[in-house]
Amino acid sequence: MSLIADEIIRFSSVLKIAYNFLTGRAYLKRKKFRENEKLVSVALPFSDLPFAAGTVPVFPIRMHIFNVNQYLSYLGTASNIFGWKGVSNFLGFVKNLGISEVSKIVDDIIEDVIQEINEKYNEMYDIGIEGGLSSDFCYGLKSLVGMHISKSRNVDAYMNITIRCSAFNKYLESLSAINNKPRPIWIDIPPRNIGNALELLTDNISHALGDFESLTGNTISDNMLRNHFKISNQVKESYKTIIYDISASDFYPCNPATFSEIMSLLNITFQDYNSNAVRYRDNMNSLVKEMRERIRKGIGMDVSGMPRIFVTPMFGGWEPKIHDYIYELGGRALYADWGLLKLLEEIPTSPRNNPVEEYARFLLNATETGIGCDNDKLTDSYLRMAKELDADGIVFIQLFGCHSISNCYRMLRDKVRKELEIPITAITFNKIGENIEQVKTRIGAFMEMF
Amino acid sequence: METLEIFEEFSLYLKEMKSQGKKIIAFISHDNIPEELIDAAGFIPLRLIFAGNDELMDASHDYLPPSTCAFAQTCIGLFALKPRHFNFLDLVDYFIVSNHCVSDICASEVICKYFNIPRLNFYISYMRNPNSEKYFRLEVSNFRKNLEEIRNGPISDDMIIESIKKYNEFRKVIKDINNLDIKGSIKLKLMQKAFLFGPNILPELRDFIASNENSISNNSKSIDLLLTGCSIFMNDTLIDLIEEGGGNIVFFDTWIGYNYYSQQFKESTYNHVKNPIDLLASRYINNAYSDHSVPNFLENRITHIEEIYRNYEAKTGKRLGIINHIIKFCDHMSLMSSFFKNNLQEKGIKVLNVERDYSRANRGQLSTRIEAYLEMIQSE
Repeated sequence: MSLIADEIIRFSSVLKIAYNFLTGRAYLKRKKFRENEKLVSVALPFSDLPFAAGTVPVFPIRMHIFNVNQYLSYLGTASNIFGWKGVSNFLGFVKNLGISEVSKIVDDIIEDVIQEINEKYNEMYDIGIEGGLSSDFCYGLKSLVGMHISKSRNVDAYMNITIRCSAFNKYLESLSAINNKPRPIWIDIPPRNIGNALELLTDNISHALGDFESLTGNTISDNMLRNHFKISNQVKESYKTIIYDISASDFYPCNPATFSEIMSLLNITFQDYNSNAVRYRDNMNSLVKEMRERIRKGIGMDVSGMPRIFVTPMFGGWEPKIHDYIYELGGRALYADWGLLKLLEEIPTSPRNNPVEEYARFLLNATETGIGCDNDKLTDSYLRMAKELDADGIVFIQLFGCHSISNCYRMLRDKVRKELEIPITAITFNKIGENIEQVKTRIGAFMEMF
Repeated sequence: METLEIFEEFSLYLKEMKSQGKKIIAFISHDNIPEELIDAAGFIPLRLIFAGNDELMDASHDYLPPSTCAFAQTCIGLFALKPRHFNFLDLVDYFIVSNHCVSDICASEVICKYFNIPRLNFYISYMRNPNSEKYFRLEVSNFRKNLEEIRNGPISDDMIIESIKKYNEFRKVIKDINNLDIKGSIKLKLMQKAFLFGPNILPELRDFIASNENSISNNSKSIDLLLTGCSIFMNDTLIDLIEEGGGNIVFFDTWIGYNYYSQQFKESTYNHVKNPIDLLASRYINNAYSDHSVPNFLENRITHIEEIYRNYEAKTGKRLGIINHIIKFCDHMSLMSSFFKNNLQEKGIKVLNVERDYSRANRGQLSTRIEAYLEMIQSE
């Protein structure tokens, strides 16, 4: 794992994002009990309205205690004095000293972060099943149910936005059966943009805003919405820069495995911006700057000869070892789920526009042209993304129990072969760490094609 | 009449309809497709209500993973293998891709794409509220236009109202069948046949009711059951296992059963309707027990079943057993099954969650579970 540790510590922004993710519980407790703010559970990147409404969105796994490596805790404390940049520089200095014991401590910090997140996900998965959810559902749903069984008592509302996956929609309904105290705030997205569907969705969002107003007792102005959209647009801009400019380039600011690790951390944290949109935006801006600075200085790795392997989808659960294997075999794994699903599109914030309608347009656009109401549309999204990334191959994660995305594989394979003429393979996934040898073998066989 | 004979008869019927120039519009059975529009267009709605087996499910794995709903697998398998009694599937002119659940979408898309059947889209919202009713109206209007293009002529409001009346009468008759005091398997078979042939067999259904309305079943020793969850489709042995174990389904709270016939309009409603599309949309919003919708499906279903249970107990002095039939990998029924069971059991109502696919191998296990449940009910 040191191949990752060696690199990640150079990015103070990554350390900050990881630290904010892992120490979410303390932050959220302060928000809830000291500052009397309302916590709203979110899944998938649907945190815009909770933020705009002045509540605190939380991807529920972050309410858990993570066994944060004690040295990371010290670093967190040190960052209060020296700042994260100073901490990062210090870690880089320590690593360069070549003192093996000190170096190992640094390696352990990063390894623990990654390991801890994965173990916590698996723990949530187990809680979900113990809580009565059939093991037939996908990893993502089982984990989400586990998160809510264990932590929904802390939230004041559920942000429930319907999508094409019927299991996800039923899971949203089941949240009230798990705990009926938090207020469910629903937004139903029409499956297609026909007739006045946009108007209907705008009205649905207005109702949801009304629910938020009842929850907080505060009025939500158009400017509050615009102000948050401006922040989220900046986050998305940074994210897109990393996906489309940096990951598509031939020189990386770090090795590709590290790069993938950063992308997977962003994929998780993008769902709730670690409950603080401004802080997250600043970290994302810093990350882009740090990456660009390293590239400018020629620090990093020439990846021009390494095939670009688009690994997707990962948001419902995937084996994190995949990008290590791809790297070890001479490739680079690219992650871009949120871009593929059109959830990185910016929301216009002009004072002339109605922000509620703009948010409706954003959601409807994602439904129509990203997520898609059917697999024909969804597979087009995969093709579009693979083209934009200039992918040399695709590894499709076929989640056991996913009846929505995973079911498009046959259609996707046919389209990829016909229209892109690049190799594609499916890796079945049930739980992190399961069948790891099989995954390695399949990736090995796939990488031989390049 | 045996199921295979029904298939033979149905095949002849469809051929006859085709020879009259009628189009066959197939869809994976669900409760929100406006079959009246298809009928008004002069076409034949064909619900896929066929149970599977190992071969049919296996045949679908070229297209979808095995962790897909066993019913959706079966629908694909039928088109892939076209077993002898299902030759009538060759007659299908169009297939409706709809989003009752995501497996419905996926399977329907596969059928259209890989078996070269032109598709018609019909999507519905996930919630039931005034805006989703408005959206439903958009989709119905869109669907009407599609059908008008196919028939190359308009479908007038009067034609739609006539079809609504016809199907309303059909639903009433299905309700009467469900209320007959006859063996559950006979009732089910008749309803299944009715679902295939539609209102065209109303005379046959009425004759059956007339000759059985005063009959009293000889099922005093059997344990009365309510079937909820997924429907039992044609050629499925589940009901035989239940009856062999000593149970008798007296109430079908499924697509094939209550969910269908409860969606009747009052005559006073359609006699004064100006726009039949509004009427169809109102059915969507009133469909409180549709498993498709969120967020109140679980709550409505529990209230509904408790009411039936209490009424039955008050009327007969007997307790109903509740079998919740879950087809393996069904999103709608499976995800809520433990909440459903726990909630009803807290009210003193015993529930058996039967989760299964169509493989032969699990027949013994199913039988044992059903028998154990029936023994438990009997010993109370």
